[in-house]
Amino acid sequence: MSDRSESDRLKQEGWLGRTLRRPEIGSFIVMVVIIVALAMASEGKAFNALGLKNNVAIISQLGIIATGAALLMIAGEFDLSIGPMIAFAGMSIAIMMKWGLPFGLGEATPFLAFLITLCMTLAFGWLIGNIIVRSGLSSFIVTLAFWFFLRGLTEVCFRLINQNTNVSGLPDYKETSWFAEQMGGEVFGWFYDAWFWIGTKVGAGLEFTADMSRDAKIDLITQLGFLNINRKMEQWVTGFDARLLWFIIIAGVAWFVLNRTQLGNWIYATGDNQDSARANGVPVDQVKIGLFMFSAFCATIFATCQVFDTNSSDAAKGMFKELEAIAIAVVGGILMTGGFGTILGVIFGAVTFGLVANAVFFIPWIDGSWFRVFVGTVLLAAVFANERIRKRITGGI
Amino acid sequence: MAEPYLSVRGLVKRFGPFTALAGVDLDVYPGEVHALLGDNGAGKSTLIKTLAGVHQPTEGQILIEGKPTEFRSPRDASAAGIGTVYQDLALNQLLSVTRNFFMGRELISPLGTMRTKEMNEIAHNEMLKIGIDFSDPTQAVGTMSGGQRQTLAIARAIYFGAKVLILDEPTSALGQKQQMGVLKTIKRVRQRGDIAIIFITHNEIHSRLVGDRFTFLALGKVIGAGASEEISDTEMRRLMSGGAEMGDLKQELASI
Ligand SMILES: Nc1ncnc2c1ncn2[C@@H]1O[C@H](COP(=O)(O)OP(=O)(O)OP(=O)(O)O)[C@@H](O)[C@H]1O
Ligand SMILES: [Mg+2]
Repeated sequence: MSDRSESDRLKQEGWLGRTLRRPEIGSFIVMVVIIVALAMASEGKAFNALGLKNNVAIISQLGIIATGAALLMIAGEFDLSIGPMIAFAGMSIAIMMKWGLPFGLGEATPFLAFLITLCMTLAFGWLIGNIIVRSGLSSFIVTLAFWFFLRGLTEVCFRLINQNTNVSGLPDYKETSWFAEQMGGEVFGWFYDAWFWIGTKVGAGLEFTADMSRDAKIDLITQLGFLNINRKMEQWVTGFDARLLWFIIIAGVAWFVLNRTQLGNWIYATGDNQDSARANGVPVDQVKIGLFMFSAFCATIFATCQVFDTNSSDAAKGMFKELEAIAIAVVGGILMTGGFGTILGVIFGAVTFGLVANAVFFIPWIDGSWFRVFVGTVLLAAVFANERIRKRITGGI
Repeated sequence: MAEPYLSVRGLVKRFGPFTALAGVDLDVYPGEVHALLGDNGAGKSTLIKTLAGVHQPTEGQILIEGKPTEFRSPRDASAAGIGTVYQDLALNQLLSVTRNFFMGRELISPLGTMRTKEMNEIAHNEMLKIGIDFSDPTQAVGTMSGGQRQTLAIARAIYFGAKVLILDEPTSALGQKQQMGVLKTIKRVRQRGDIAIIFITHNEIHSRLVGDRFTFLALGKVIGAGASEEISDTEMRRLMSGGAEMGDLKQELASI
């Protein structure tokens, strides 16, 4: 066959070669570098019992919205309204918890407040999606409009109902509501139980003695910290934030959909070349509208976790989160032009960003604003890397 | 002669004030290659887009096996057995061969997941049947050559039950060797005997090589039609240039 020689020009590669060409490889390397650097600079504090919990909390938080943003970007669209959507959802839940259900329908339960809020945010997502597919306008402009609209609406609602742009000091619903516990409470206690159990076994011989120097005592405390026990040999971190579970669920579902389902093929096809997808019968518009709603869903989960974790909310919540979500997706190897990218890359991106955002707490001598400098640099590098990937795949057009 | 699978009667298509097709008649028979020829802007692409359900006709009728039919969407047309391979191929470069092959028509298991392994096998086998052995169907389409992409698009249309295969300039933008590859593919599809092929080209030699029947369009109208043996080479050249006499063209050129 005369065409045969062509396909065979593509060299069959081994396992290593194929791994090195995976789209996530860049974000994976960056992540490993950051983990090692942070562990060294913080002298291990970033990954002791408490450090790990705090890092995982922010990683999950960013990962939840980045997953929504990533699916949308794979389908070739943007959502700048994620941050204001978080603020709106947080406002809505907090106000219902404080002032009761709308139209005097009585007291709100955490679940009911969440459900009503979700209906509203999904409706906004639906509206945004519809405007974009029907008008053919760029999603950048339409969601920018909703950025202003939702930020403003959030503040107006706060002032009208609450006379003040923040709600704080709500009772701790985690103690009374199963739902609030699932959103703002703790999960995977067994992980730290195991850590504690190992810690007590290892730490059995450790104790303060009168003749210890100050340095030796500090050393001992550091070790105890790592082992998840305090001086009285009690466990002092009991679990991860519930966000982690939500991040795992959302990322897991997104991974499954993209790789294993028809919808996943439609999402990729829509982002790559929507005209050809349409010509082949892919319901491009519905895919896009659905993904705008999914992005709104992720923002709502983010906000719900935040409200029930801190028992408060204010109008400035979610600031810059839309940009961080997009940045994570790009660093994770999602192409700005759509049609390409993986959830695994987004997870690596979220880990990298979460760790760097938190670094200031573990490395006291560092200025927190270096975070943004780092993000800018890595983002630019990632865009260049992604562009090379795209050229390699499409034969350099 | 057998009954035509697809017929077009008095088809008119206007875009606002602009008449792209001004009453076109066409008959295509199974097992035949019907070459559609005409200058740039003659309305060839518009005609096949109407057949493919992308455009709706302003006036006139499309008949499938003698029955008047209306296509509201590309889905309707493909359900009626019209498989179109567009000039731009409607392929997604970043996606794998398999994902492209089944785009919009994925095979699903009862649990709702894609039957990836089976899909890979089918894509590979179907392409092998019409001439290319593509070893890795998980490879991105962007890495394939132009000829291979044509084959993918053709194999896809046939696998999904096309009775009429419409090819819009499948040989343009290809090198000599790959052009021959595509012509061979067309011949192989024709040999099956059950598929009608509409082949659009600007290339006189190609249409002679594979065409059984010709229709010439100019400015939205049919200016000539007939079986291959009824049309002489000079006649063909005259019709392809929109009806002008070759002698006239020579004179025009000489006067510059
Ligand atoms: N959607 C549209 N709106 C307005 N005019 C159109 C549209 N599509 C095609 N036309 C016009 O119809 C005419 C016929 O175009 P068409 O693409 O069918 O030509 P063609 O025969 O395929 O030419 P080529 O050989 O260059 O591909 C052109 O003048 C074109 O500008
Ligand atoms: Mg054309």
